[in-house]
Amino acid sequence: MKLNRIGITLIASALAVIALVVTLLVVRQQESRTNEMRAKGVGLARSLGTLPVALLGANAPGAGMLNALFAYQDNGDLAYAAITDAKGRTLADVAGRGTFVPAAALPADAAATFGQRTLPGKDGARGLVEFYGPLADRSQGQAFVRIGLYQPGYAVLARDVSFLALLALMMFLLVPLIYIVIKREMAPLDALGRQLRQLGEVGMAQRQSAHDVRELAGSLQAYLEFASGRIAQLEHGSLNATADNHVLQYGSKKLTAALQSLPDGLLMLAPGGLVTFASDKVEPLLGIGLDAILEQPVDAWCRDPALRTLIARYAGGQRDTLHAHSIDFTPANVEGKYLSATVQPLAAAQGAMAFGTLVVLRDVTREQLARQAGNDFVAHVSHELKSPLNVIGMYAETLADADAGDETLRVESLNVIQDEIERMNALVGNLLNVSKLETGSMSPERNRVRLDDLLRDAYDHALPRAEGKQLRVELDLPRELEAVAIDKDLFRIALNNLLTNAIKYNRPGGTVTLSARNEDHEIVIGVRDTGIGIAAADQERVFDKFYRVSEQGAKVARGGHGLGLYLAAQIVELHHGRIVLESEPGIGSTFSIHLKIVPAATGVVTL
Amino acid sequence: MTQRYILLVDDEPHVTRVLRLALEKAGYAVTVAHDGHAALACMTQQLPDVLISDIQMDGMDGRTLCPLARKTYPEHDFLILVMTSMTALEERSWARALPNTEFLEKPLSPRQLVARLAKHFAA
Repeated sequence: MKLNRIGITLIASALAVIALVVTLLVVRQQESRTNEMRAKGVGLARSLGTLPVALLGANAPGAGMLNALFAYQDNGDLAYAAITDAKGRTLADVAGRGTFVPAAALPADAAATFGQRTLPGKDGARGLVEFYGPLADRSQGQAFVRIGLYQPGYAVLARDVSFLALLALMMFLLVPLIYIVIKREMAPLDALGRQLRQLGEVGMAQRQSAHDVRELAGSLQAYLEFASGRIAQLEHGSLNATADNHVLQYGSKKLTAALQSLPDGLLMLAPGGLVTFASDKVEPLLGIGLDAILEQPVDAWCRDPALRTLIARYAGGQRDTLHAHSIDFTPANVEGKYLSATVQPLAAAQGAMAFGTLVVLRDVTREQLARQAGNDFVAHVSHELKSPLNVIGMYAETLADADAGDETLRVESLNVIQDEIERMNALVGNLLNVSKLETGSMSPERNRVRLDDLLRDAYDHALPRAEGKQLRVELDLPRELEAVAIDKDLFRIALNNLLTNAIKYNRPGGTVTLSARNEDHEIVIGVRDTGIGIAAADQERVFDKFYRVSEQGAKVARGGHGLGLYLAAQIVELHHGRIVLESEPGIGSTFSIHLKIVPAATGVVTL
Repeated sequence: MTQRYILLVDDEPHVTRVLRLALEKAGYAVTVAHDGHAALACMTQQLPDVLISDIQMDGMDGRTLCPLARKTYPEHDFLILVMTSMTALEERSWARALPNTEFLEKPLSPRQLVARLAKHFAA
């Protein structure tokens, strides 16, 4: 379609060019004929002017030169030849058929020179060009020669027609050639245009008929605009999508990080039962690698029947599993751990959307141990309280039933009862202090003191108890002790507990030594006994709460209640000191309390 | 009447001392063992008519000793008295499974023990 229009345009252009060329040729021919005519007219007038009038006229011999001249007509453009006087009256003339010599007066200069003038034709006849001049003979300016020539017409000469036609034909033949060349050059563009139209059909509907290069360019431009619009749109969309993606990813990562940082292990199960998410904490809790858990059904990896049963209840989608359920269990793959598993459905919009199941695993080992410790504590304390009560009860009964004469039994009973009461008293006191220590309500009032008095007090207090067991007590103090910052009442408890043990676990005839010495930055208080000693295995645990060294084989009458050393160690720790045990079974034990020396400059009051 | 023999097992010296006094006063022969191992050793010497055992003991405890004594001497039908606190209910189930086994409630009364044994031997 487009190429056809190009063809038409080409033909029209060719015709226009041909017309122009022909016109120019005709004009040029006309001009040359005009020049030719002037040369002829002037020549005739001049040549006639030289002839005498007598030779020219009709009545002249030989019918005159004018007739002769007229007879020599090459192409019939000679209208007339006349001899006139100055006033234009004809003296002799010869004219073509239907032509008259116009009676026009000659110009004034006609006598002097040859001239030329244009005369209009009569009654639509062709215009004339008249050449005039004076006759050279004796007329003395009274006779003039006039030659009238028809102005040349614009008719194309027959002989020129074939030349022009040939020229036009040749030019016209160029049209198909150009057309073919253009068509060849246009073909790729045309194909491109078609493709572009197809591509940009949406925006191009109104351009269906576009065909030529201009239209093609227009199409191309329109398409490019359309395409760049599309690209911009896509880019914008892509940017938005990327931004959205980033936002989503950011949100997702943030959520995952939050889930991972939870102290509990999280498992998410798809409604189908496969694990879709497992936080890192799950692995140490269950002792199962995440690889084994992810994308697997619970039965494939879970070794804990209780947990499996609980999760299975939710997998069934039963109506009673809309709420969370918890169980406590000990994981099969991890030793010594207690876990609490809470399983609940993952739902949104009041259960309208179900995402599966959420399993929260929490390490409750500490809670479990604490609970157990609490139970143990109560059991232990009640046992410790009951035992002396039991003994007191029995001895009281024995005392009541004893014969009046059995003085030994009476004394023994009273001694035992007193001992047991003392033991209970110590236990209750220590229990209270431990409780205060552990709840933090015991805040030591630390004052800068010299230990001498405190140590002497403790010594005096221990002496009667030791003597009852045939033990020697020694006090070994340097001349002067540096000051330390302690809570005297608390520290007395610690010291007393150590001395009680040293007496209790000593052998008859043994020695208890209470000593103190200055070291570099510390004061070291030692309580040494010559008792049964503590086995290496027990030494580490001897400061543990309720820990009691096994007394198998020991001849010592009574065990402790497992709080004395614990409390002593806690009190020393409260004073930022440390307690050290050296012991050898069968030889004895030494407990050393290391306390920092407080220089006087600290401003603590010395009591 | 032959003297009844009682094996008393407890690691608490005051308890064994008082009970021993009361039982001997009531005319029983008494041997004291401080844990299960010692008790089983005594049983190889002489089988008791009554085995009185505490539960909580260092060494072999009563919970191990009593079934073991029954299993070791199945043909010997002797009374086992397990000393236990009234409140320690959870301690009782294992003892109930043993034949001819009763509980002796703490706090102990030597008087009550003697009365109970007298009733047991009179039957």
